[in-house]
Amino acid sequence: MTTSTVTPEIVAFAQGVRAALADLPAEEVDDLTDGLEADLAEAYAEDLQRELPDPGAYATELRAAAGLPMRTKAKSGVLSGLAQSWTDTRTDVGVAIRRNPALASVVEFLGELRPAWWIVRAWLAAWLVAAFFGNERGYGLAGSWWLVAVVFAVISVQWGRGRWQGKGVPALIAIGNVVAVLAFLPVMAAADDGSDGGDFDRGFASGVDATVNDPPQDGLLLRGQPVTNIFAYDAAGKALRNVQLFTQEGKPLEAHGSRSDDNTCAADDCSTVWQPGQLETGQSVFNVFPLGTVAAEWDDEAQRTVPKQGAFSVVPKAPFLKVPGVFTPKKVANSND
Amino acid sequence: MDATQLLKGVLDVAVLAVVEDEDGYGYDVVRRLRAAGLEEVGDASVYGTLRRLYTAGALTSYVVPSEEGPHRKYYGINAQGRAMLELQRKVWTEFSTTMNNLLTSSTQPGEAA
Repeated sequence: MTTSTVTPEIVAFAQGVRAALADLPAEEVDDLTDGLEADLAEAYAEDLQRELPDPGAYATELRAAAGLPMRTKAKSGVLSGLAQSWTDTRTDVGVAIRRNPALASVVEFLGELRPAWWIVRAWLAAWLVAAFFGNERGYGLAGSWWLVAVVFAVISVQWGRGRWQGKGVPALIAIGNVVAVLAFLPVMAAADDGSDGGDFDRGFASGVDATVNDPPQDGLLLRGQPVTNIFAYDAAGKALRNVQLFTQEGKPLEAHGSRSDDNTCAADDCSTVWQPGQLETGQSVFNVFPLGTVAAEWDDEAQRTVPKQGAFSVVPKAPFLKVPGVFTPKKVANSND
Repeated sequence: MDATQLLKGVLDVAVLAVVEDEDGYGYDVVRRLRAAGLEEVGDASVYGTLRRLYTAGALTSYVVPSEEGPHRKYYGINAQGRAMLELQRKVWTEFSTTMNNLLTSSTQPGEAA
């Protein structure tokens, strides 16, 4: 090792270099110029004829070789300050990642996936535009909208490869990437939601839901009109009483408004309530037809309408006293004939 | 052809190669590169490259205080740096072979298009 002296010129030169690097984080400048004086002193001790270069040019060369960003013009203002601190943060994060082998390999792996992201963001953009016009189809697009997706994909890939980058394009890409990242999950959710059919299918399904699965008032409807009671007649056309009816699934058939829980009012003003039938088991059921009604009153304690004490059940008058009998052939037809 | 342009592309592997055997400080590395024939190499380029290789995790770094003058910053190669050097050696060998073949054949009469 050559023993060398640090001349005032070298000190001034090193100060100039550090000043030219002042836009970088202080730690970075220290690391970059640590030992600079010693190196310079040694270099110039070896070759006394050497002239010190321009500190600015030297700093630029140092910066370029170290892979650091070129000096940004010192701007004032909140926006450029934010931009500067963003750049600094990115540099710091980049340094931290490179110093950690595990993180670095993860980042490298993700870097390999960049082309996939180029395609994804193109699809996202095409989907969003198509969705604006109502032409998205689940994850896909309607007809010629695929052409838009292909065009977007080409642009996206070219941008990703650093091509077609005019003035303002990098900023556009940055904004686009942020939008794409933010829109990714909502779009995926919407696309997944729509993947089992378009708007019409969904509307139809919800309509079916509304009629079939959303019973505001459980019970029977006939062409939209509530069926509040049922009158059964036997084969001879004679009115029957206490007929138990069940659905194809074995569920007790309940007429409109005769639910056993709370709303059992038979009359609009609730002056009467439906009277359930009584099974041998003691259970009260509302599928015994025709249903009877009983005079009712409001019970403050139970907070509901209850049958008046001592009131008798009344079976509403049947619509027909007698109906025509059912024709039954004497011989049972052979189904093989 | 400007040799300094070519040098830019291979400075990493050149720096790794000279610190492979023995740790070195900035100017020491410059001197070794020049001694090896790369006379046009710039001080600042080498320092910057050392710094970048260190940041990339290929080099270790330590400071040696000096009683007489300012301290020196030494750089040494580590496992990652060796792996990088090994890979770049292969790349360089293949590349130089390709270039040699290309340049040799293109000097043949009638083949230079």
